[in-house]
Amino acid sequence: MIDLPTTCGFCSCGCALYVEPVGNRIAALCPSTNHPVSTGRLCIKGWNATPSVTGENRLRTPLVRKGDKLEPASWEEAISITSTKLRQISSKSGPHSIGVIGSAKTTNEECYSLAKLARGVIGTPNIDSACRFYDASLIPALLETTRVPASQIDINSIASAGSILIVGSNVMDQLAHVGSRIQDAVENGCKVVAVDSRVSRLAPQASMFLNSRPGTDLAWLRVLIRTIIDRQLYADEVPEMRGFEELRNSVGDAELKKLVDECGITGEAIVEAAEALAKNKPVVVMFGLGVLQQPESTRIVKALADVAILLGGSVMPLRGQNNAQGASDLGLAHDLLPGYMSLLDAGARSKWEQMWKCVLPSEPGMDAARMVRACGSGEIEALLIFGENVALSAPNTDQAVAALDKVEFLAVADMYLTQTAELADVVFPACSFLEKDGTFTNIERRVQRVRKVMEPIGESRSDLSIIGALASALGASLSDDPAEVMAEIAGSVASYENVSYGSLDQSWGDQWPMEGAETRLAPIPAAESREEPDYPMRLIASRINFHQQTGTVASRSAVLAREYPNTFAEMSSADAEKLRLRPGNPVRISSKSGSLTRRLVLSDSVMAGCVHVPFFFGGDSPNVLASGECDPVSGVPVYKACAVRVEAVK
Amino acid sequence: MNVGDTLVLKKSDVTMFFASIAHDMRLVAPKRRFGGDVIFDVVESPKEIAWDYGHDVYPPKRFLLPHYEDMFRYQANGDVRIEDLGEAPKQAIVGIRSCDVMAIRFQEKFFASQIVDPYYKARSDNTVLFSLVCNKPPKKECFCICCDSGPYLDAGFDVEMTDLGDEYLYRIGSEKGLKATEPGAFMLEPAKPEAFAQRKRIELQADSLFRTEAYFAKAIMFISTNDVPDKVWEELGSTCFRCAACTNLCPVCTCYTVDDRPEGEGAFVRCRSWDSCQFAGFTREASDHNPRPTFGSRVQRRFYHKASYQYIMRDGTHGCVGCGRCVSACLTKLDVPSVLKRIRRSMPEYLEPRKTPAGEV
Amino acid sequence: MELTAARPRKMWGVTDHPSMNLYVPMVAIIDDIVDETPDTKTFRLRFEDEEYARSFSWEPGQFVEVTVFGAGEAPIGFASNPLEKSFFELTVVDRGKVTRAMHKLSIGDKVGVRGPLGNCWPLDEVRGRDLVIISGGCGLAPLRPAILKVLEDRESYNDLCLLYGARTPADRNFKYDLELWSKRQDMRLLETVDVPDDTWNRNVGVVTTLFEKVELDVSNAVVFTCGPPIMIKFATISLLKMGFAEDRIVMSLERYMKCGVGKCGHCCVNHVYVCTEGPVFTYKDLLALPEASL
Repeated sequence: MIDLPTTCGFCSCGCALYVEPVGNRIAALCPSTNHPVSTGRLCIKGWNATPSVTGENRLRTPLVRKGDKLEPASWEEAISITSTKLRQISSKSGPHSIGVIGSAKTTNEECYSLAKLARGVIGTPNIDSACRFYDASLIPALLETTRVPASQIDINSIASAGSILIVGSNVMDQLAHVGSRIQDAVENGCKVVAVDSRVSRLAPQASMFLNSRPGTDLAWLRVLIRTIIDRQLYADEVPEMRGFEELRNSVGDAELKKLVDECGITGEAIVEAAEALAKNKPVVVMFGLGVLQQPESTRIVKALADVAILLGGSVMPLRGQNNAQGASDLGLAHDLLPGYMSLLDAGARSKWEQMWKCVLPSEPGMDAARMVRACGSGEIEALLIFGENVALSAPNTDQAVAALDKVEFLAVADMYLTQTAELADVVFPACSFLEKDGTFTNIERRVQRVRKVMEPIGESRSDLSIIGALASALGASLSDDPAEVMAEIAGSVASYENVSYGSLDQSWGDQWPMEGAETRLAPIPAAESREEPDYPMRLIASRINFHQQTGTVASRSAVLAREYPNTFAEMSSADAEKLRLRPGNPVRISSKSGSLTRRLVLSDSVMAGCVHVPFFFGGDSPNVLASGECDPVSGVPVYKACAVRVEAVK
Repeated sequence: MNVGDTLVLKKSDVTMFFASIAHDMRLVAPKRRFGGDVIFDVVESPKEIAWDYGHDVYPPKRFLLPHYEDMFRYQANGDVRIEDLGEAPKQAIVGIRSCDVMAIRFQEKFFASQIVDPYYKARSDNTVLFSLVCNKPPKKECFCICCDSGPYLDAGFDVEMTDLGDEYLYRIGSEKGLKATEPGAFMLEPAKPEAFAQRKRIELQADSLFRTEAYFAKAIMFISTNDVPDKVWEELGSTCFRCAACTNLCPVCTCYTVDDRPEGEGAFVRCRSWDSCQFAGFTREASDHNPRPTFGSRVQRRFYHKASYQYIMRDGTHGCVGCGRCVSACLTKLDVPSVLKRIRRSMPEYLEPRKTPAGEV
Repeated sequence: MELTAARPRKMWGVTDHPSMNLYVPMVAIIDDIVDETPDTKTFRLRFEDEEYARSFSWEPGQFVEVTVFGAGEAPIGFASNPLEKSFFELTVVDRGKVTRAMHKLSIGDKVGVRGPLGNCWPLDEVRGRDLVIISGGCGLAPLRPAILKVLEDRESYNDLCLLYGARTPADRNFKYDLELWSKRQDMRLLETVDVPDDTWNRNVGVVTTLFEKVELDVSNAVVFTCGPPIMIKFATISLLKMGFAEDRIVMSLERYMKCGVGKCGHCCVNHVYVCTEGPVFTYKDLLALPEASL
C-alpha cells in the first residue's frame, strides 16, 4: 500500500513522489499531483528511483581492510577501528590533521550533524561538502550581491518571467521541471537568451542562442554589463545602489568590438540580448555548472548577479544535487557556520561554541579540494567521506586517487562500493533516501520532508545513525533522531526556525525566508586569459541526464544505463579532418594533468577548437583532465574549458 | 438478478455494500493521500473510497500489469530451481472510470491475443470492475468523448454505477459483475422509471461538457500512410524530456522490459517493469544500431501505435481512451490531444483531394 | 505464386509449452562449444528433460530465448540440422551483456531455453525451385539449418547456390561445413572476403561482387538472405535490378527483443512483432513497413 510521499533524492527540483515497498524492493512509484513542483510529473530519474534501493551490489555490511582486501565486518568493529584511528591521529598530529568531506545528497539533519561532529567532537577545522566540487562558488558571490545564497524565486514563477538569461546549463537534460517551466514561459511570450558553449537541446527553443567559446563567460558578461549601463537599460533605483560606480568603472575596458574574437559572440548579439532582457520584465538570471566550474567562477556568478540586479530581476542558480542547498545552508563548509555565519565573526563563533561545546577556529580550514591534495602531501592523515565519490569528482583524477590511496586512514560511508570506497580502510554501508527520515532543501529554498518508506537494506544505516555511532565512540553524544536534530537546527538557524516535523505533516514545506538585506553590485574586473600552446583545444564537459553525478546510483538502473551505454568524445568534422582523426576510432584527449581515451563521434554542433566529453561514464571521467587549479575565492576546481589536445590512439 | 439488470443502491448503504462485496476479495479504490493527492490503492474499509476524485495520476492498470512485477525466482547452483512468483489476488476495483475500464478491456484483449500472457490473465480473471459514470468532467484534461470510451458505457463493464444524488444507479454488465454483486444483492432494489430518466439526462448533459477538440479523424489517415513529414515529428520531439511519463501513466500502454534482479546467494528474480517506446534504449541493439535513434522517430512510434489504421485493425480500436493523464503528466506538450491537433492541422494536403491508387483524382 | 514467409508447425506459447508458464525456461545442458571466429561460438545444447527433448521440434529460421542464469535472456537463432533430435546448436556472437556471459560458460553448464519462437524460412513453398542463399558473417547461422534440411531432401529442390562473405578468412563461420559444401557436386558455393590473408586464394570484395560470377534463373529462383543490414540492402538492390520479384527475396530481420512472444513491444516494426510474425519476412512484406527502413 502507498502511504505518505517522500522527496526525490536525485536533483534539486525536489519533487514529491509516492513509493510502495514490498519487502526489500519497490513495487510501485508515482508522482504527487498537488506538490507545487512535481505537479503530477517526474523526470526519467525520478521515475527510476528504485535502483537507490534495489541496485546490484548495494553494500549490506560494513567493510574493513584486512591486508589487501576489504572484508565484511561488524558495526562495532568498523566504528571502533575508525574512532581508535581518529583518536590516535588526533593526539599524535593534532585534530587539524583530520578531514571530513560531507555530501550534497544527505539530509539536512545529516549535514548539520556532520558539521557538528567535525567541529564539535573531532575538533577539526577541515570540514566541507561535495558542493566544493560543483557549485560552491555561488555562495560567496551571492552573499556579496543578492545577499541570498540560493534561488530568489520558486520554480513556478519561472513560467511568468518576462525574460530569462540562462548560461551554462542544459535544462532539457537536467532539472526537468525548470526546463518545463521555461517552455511554459516561452509560450507566454517570454524571451529566453541562452548562452552555452555547447549547442544543447535547449538552444533551438531559446529566443536567442549564443554559442560562446568555453571559458569566455566573464568576458561577454562584462560587455553585457557595460552595455546595460552605457545604454541606461538598468532599473530606476540602480544608480543609487551600493557598488554602482565601482561596477561601472570596473567594466570600462570591456569592448563590444573585441567580443567576437574572444568569445565567438558578436557585439550585435550582446546588444540585442541586453535590450531583450531589459524590455521584458521580470528578468530571471539562471546559470548552471557550465558557469560554476569555469575559471573565475565566483567572479562570473557575481557578474550574473549584477546583471539581475541592474535589471531589477532575480537570480536562480541551477544547483544539481538534491540537497546541495541544505548542505550549504547548514554549515557543511570550511569557512562557514550554519546559516552562513562567517567564521571570522566573533559573535557567530561564540554562539556556536556554546551550542556545540567546543572551541572554533577563527580561520577557515581546508576545503574539500585542498583536503584531497593534503592527503597526498601528508598534511591530512585521516579523511572521512560521506556520500560522495571523491575519486571521480575531484579534479586531477590520477593525483586524487593516488592521494586517497596514500592517506593513512580513509573511512567512507556510501550506498555502493564506489571507486572511492574501494580505496578506503573502512566502508560504512549507508542507506538511500527511501530508507530514512529527514529533510532536504530544494533549489527553491523549500525545506521538505524525506520519509522512510522501507527498512534499510541489510545492515545499512542512515548517515545520521553512522555519525551518531562515531560520536558516541569518540565520547560525545549526537542525536540520531532526525526530528530532534531538526528541532535543534530550527532553534539555532534563523532561516530554519519555522521548520518542524509537525508542520511538515500538514504541508509540503515552505521556502525559508530571505532576510531582505540590502543588495549590492560587485565590481567585475577582467581576468587574464591564458593560452597553453601545447594544448590548443578547449574541453566542453557536459552531463548526461541519465547518469546523475558520478552515476553511482543511476547506473544501477537498467533503464537509465540503457539510454547511453557507450561513452564518446565529440568534435566537428572540420577539426577532425585537420587533426586527421577518423570517427568511430578511439582518440586520446590529454591535458597537463592526465589523459582520457574515448571513441570519436563527429558533430557539427561542437564549435571549432573544442572537444565535447560527457561526464562520469562508467567509471572514467573528464576530471582527469582538470589540473586542480581552483577558483581563487571559492576554491571550486576548474573542470570546464580545460586546455587539452586530441590525438589518435595508435 | 441477471446480467443486464438495472438496480439502485442508496448512498447510505454504500459502505455496508462494499464491505459485503469485500468478504473474499480486496478492494482497490481511489484513496486520498497527502495534500489532496488521490491514488488508486488497496483500501481497508469502503469508508476510505474518495468517490468524488478529480486527478488520480497513477492508473489502476497497475493492479493488472504491475509497475514492477516479479515473475519467477531461479537459483542455478548446479541444479536449477525455479519458483513461480506470479500473484493474482482477488480484487474489486471500485470507482474506476469508463475510460480506465475500456483501457483494461483493451489490455485484456491484447494480452490474450495469439499467445496468452499467463500473469495478466490470472490477475484479470480475478478482478472485477465497479465503474463510476462521470456526470461531468472530473478534470479539465479529459477527452473520453473523442475516443468513444466514456463518460458512460453501453457495454464492456462489469458493474456500472451512476451518481443520481441520494443513490447510485447500479447496472450489471457481465457474469463477473453479477457474481460479485451477490453478497450485497439484498441492499439493491430495482430501478424505477425516474432513475432511468435521470440517467438519460445525465448522459446528455455529460456528452455536452467534455472537451471535443481531441478527435482523431484525419490524424489516423496521415499517421497510417506515413505522410507526416519527418520534420514535423522532429519538431515535436525536440521539446521532449524523455521522462516516459506518457507511457507509464497511460492506462492502455503495455510495453515492459525484463531484468534479472540479484537477490544474493545465486538467486535471481526475473522481474518485468513498465518500459517505454520513448526511450532510445527501447530499440537499441547490442551492435549499437538503433532503428529509432531520434526523438522524432520515437514520438512517431507512439502515435503510430495509438492512432494508426494498422493497429486499429489489430486491436479493434485506437490505443487511447481519453483519460487525460498524458496531458497532466507531460513536462512539455506531447499529450495526445496536442499532437493529434498538430498532425491534423499541419498537413497542407488536407484541403486537397487525394489521388486514388490508380492515380486519378 | 505469391510467396509469403511461412508459419511454423510449432510455436512456444501458441501450441503447448511444458514449462510452468510461457515465460519460464526449460533447462538445457551445454554438451559442446566450438569457436567459430574470435568473437563467435557455437553451443551444442541438450534439454535436461529427456522426454521434452524427444518431443522438441523446430524449423529453420526459428529462434529461442536463452537464459544465461544471472545475466538475463537473449534471442539466438537455431543453427543446426532440425532433423537432429539429440541436440540443437546455437551460434552466439559476444556482443552484449547476456552473450558475453554466455561466452564465459563451459561444457556441462546449464542454460535456460524458451522456444521454438518465431516463424521460419518458407522451405516447403520453394520445393522444385532454385534456392539462392546470400549471407555474410554470422548471418550464415540462421541459414545453416535451411541448407542442412535442403541437403537432407536434395531431390525436392532444384539448384542450390550459397554466396557467402566474411570480413577476413578468420571471420568465416562454420569453416568445417564450408569445406564440405565446397566439395559437393549438388550445390554451388562461392565465397568472398573483404580483407584477405596469405591463405586466401578466392574472391576478394563484398558479397555483391559474387553476383557477376554466377548465373541465376530469375524466373525460378528464390533468395534467402541474412547478414549485416548493409549487405542485405545492397544485395537486394542488385537482385531487384536482376529482375527478382519482391516476394522472391526472403530475409531474416534482427531487432532488440525481450519477451519473444509478442507482448513487450521492443521488437515491433510498425504494427508487426518480429518475434512472432517474423523474423523471416519477404522483401514485399517489408515494403509495407516504413520502419523496416530498406
